[in-house]
Amino acid sequence: MTMITRSALFRWLDEMAEELPLIAPSYVEGILLYRQVSKSSEVAMARERPVLSPKEVFFPSTEVLFTINKNGDKLRLNETLPVKEQVVFGVKACDARGLSSLDAMFIDTAPADPYYAAQRKLTTVIGMKCKEMGETCFCTELGLSPDDPSGVDISLAEFEEGFDVQVMTQKGLDLLNRYLQDGADFYIDRSPLSGCTDATQPTRVVLPEAKTFPLLFEDAMWDEVAERCLSCRICAYACPTCRCFDIRDEELPASAGERRFERIRCWDSCTRNAYRRTAGGHDPRAGKGERLRNRIYCKYYYFPRRYGQLSCTGCGRCIDLCPVNIDITEILRRIVEVRQFP
Amino acid sequence: MMNKIITDENPMVPFLGKLKYVRDLGNEIKLLGVELMDGGALAFSEYHPGQFAFVSAFGVGEAPFGIASTPARSGILEFAIQRLGTVTTELHRLGQGDVVGIRGPMGNCFPMHDFAGKNIILLGGGIGGAPLRPVIHTILDNRKDYGHFTILWAARHPSLLIFTDEYEEWRSSPDCELHLTVDHPDQTWDHNVGLITELLAKVAPSPHNAVTITCGPPVMIYYVNQVLNKLGFQPEQNFVTLEARMHCGIGKCGRCNLGDKLICVDGPVFKMTEVGQFLESYL
Repeated sequence: MTMITRSALFRWLDEMAEELPLIAPSYVEGILLYRQVSKSSEVAMARERPVLSPKEVFFPSTEVLFTINKNGDKLRLNETLPVKEQVVFGVKACDARGLSSLDAMFIDTAPADPYYAAQRKLTTVIGMKCKEMGETCFCTELGLSPDDPSGVDISLAEFEEGFDVQVMTQKGLDLLNRYLQDGADFYIDRSPLSGCTDATQPTRVVLPEAKTFPLLFEDAMWDEVAERCLSCRICAYACPTCRCFDIRDEELPASAGERRFERIRCWDSCTRNAYRRTAGGHDPRAGKGERLRNRIYCKYYYFPRRYGQLSCTGCGRCIDLCPVNIDITEILRRIVEVRQFP
Repeated sequence: MMNKIITDENPMVPFLGKLKYVRDLGNEIKLLGVELMDGGALAFSEYHPGQFAFVSAFGVGEAPFGIASTPARSGILEFAIQRLGTVTTELHRLGQGDVVGIRGPMGNCFPMHDFAGKNIILLGGGIGGAPLRPVIHTILDNRKDYGHFTILWAARHPSLLIFTDEYEEWRSSPDCELHLTVDHPDQTWDHNVGLITELLAKVAPSPHNAVTITCGPPVMIYYVNQVLNKLGFQPEQNFVTLEARMHCGIGKCGRCNLGDKLICVDGPVFKMTEVGQFLESYL
C-alpha cells in the first residue's frame, strides 16, 4: 500500500493553510489546543489529545447568532451564519465520535441547528489515528477504537516513514485532490501496521445496562459522589459531546445615535448552580448530587434514549481536568457495584 | 422601518413585531399585544392553546412565554408578562410602537378536539393562568362543543389576579362557573380566601366525563393533583402545562429537561400519566 511522506504531508498542509483556515493541534503557551495555524510547522504532531475538544470549531464557546442595529425607531437584524470553508486537522477517533453525537442532536433531529449544520458542512475533518491510549482514555470500553477512521473525511495514521492516508468521504477526496500535488518524493511503499499498539489496557469501566439507571435515580450515592463537586463546569466545557447553551444579548461599540448588540449563545452546563431554576424561582435540581446525576444520566441514559448513541466518547478529558478529581469512570463503576451489591 | 436579513428560515432569528398596545394586568404584570411583521404574521396565522413563543427585548435577550391569545379572536399576539428578571424588566419598559422579536409558535398544545363533549375543570394559579386563557377563549367561542366548564382562578393577592376585566364574560357564559380565590385578601375582596386546593375540595367537581387542565407553580400542580385524586379523577384525565427557563425552544440547548424529556419539544402540555412516568420529578 502507499503512504505519503512526511514532507509531502507538510507541503500539503502549507498549501492548504495559505488558502483556507487550517485548524490543528497547536501549543498555545504550553497548552495543546485546536487553533488556526498559518503553516505546518505550527502543527503539533503530538500523541496526546488537545486539552479541549474540536467541538469548539463547530460549536464555539461563544457564538454570535445575529447582530441587532437600533437607530431611532429603525431596527435591523443581521444573521451571522458561518460562511467560511475550513479544515480541521488531527481529529482523534474519540472526538470524531463526539461530532457524530452532536450531529445526531444538532442536525439529524429536526429542526436542524443552522449554525452548527453550516459549520459542519463547510468543514473538512482530517483525522489522525491514535498510536497509543492515554492514561485516562477509556474509548475502548465504550466500543470505540483509537484507530477507528469513521466520522472523518480523511483518516491519517502516522508511521516513521510517513502517513497512511485513508479517504473516507467525497469531501475528503476533493480536499486531497485540491491541494495534494504529486512529486518525486511523494509516495513510499510500505505495508501498513494495523491497530493501535496500546488498545488493551486494563478495564477502567463497565458500562451499566440501561435498565440500571432508573433503579439508581434516588440512590444516596449521588450526594456522596457530588459532595466535592465545585460546580465549576470544566468537565462540560472540555467534553466533546456536552452541548448545553445559554443565550443573551451583548452591547457592541456603535457610532453616535446608534446602538448595536449581538445575540450570542455561550456554553453552559447542567452542573451549574441554578441551571434548571425556573422563572418562578423553583429548582428541581437544586442540589449538587441531582445536577451531577443529570450529567451522568444525560451521557449514558437520556441521550442514548433520545438520539440512539452515547453522549460520551471515553476521551477522559473530564478526568484530567476536574480540580477535585471526580472520575466519571469511578462513578460508572460505582453504579454497577451499587446495582450488584445494594 | 425595520428589516431582517436572513438567508433562510432560521429558527434562532426572531420575527419582528410592533407593540400595538401595552396594558397593566396586575401588579408588575403587563399584557403585551404584538403585531407581527415580515414572515411572522404567516408563521402565527395558526397556533393552538398551550403553545409558547420567545419574546425578545432586543439588547437584553429573550425568554419563553405561553401565548395568551387565540388567532380566532385577534390577529394580535398577546402575552401576559410578569416582571421577574432582566428580560421581563426590559419588556415592561417598552411601550406602544416599540419593536420586539418573536420566535415560535413552539411546543405542543392542549388536545382541544379530545376535550369535545367533556366537562372541563380549569385551574390557573397566578401568572400560570396566562397560557390557559386561550383554552378559556376556545371553549367560550365554541361553547356547544364542550360540556360544563368550571374555572378555578387563584393568585397570592388580588393585585396578582390576571384578566380581571374578562371575569364577567367567563362567568356569564352558558354552563360556566368561575371561582376566585386569593391567599392574602385585601379589604375589597369578597370571594374565597385560601389555596386553590382548598377551593377545589370545596367546589368538588365530578370526575365523570371530565378533564382537568392546570397551570401554576410546581407545588400547586403537585397538591392540586393530590386533591384531584381524592375526588376520584384518574391521572389520564388531568392535563398540565410545565414551565422551564428554556433558551432555544427547539430541543437543542438542553436547559428544560426532566429526565429524558424536553419540555420545549415534548411539552409543555403533558397528561399527568406522562408526568408520573418521568424519571425526574418536576418538583
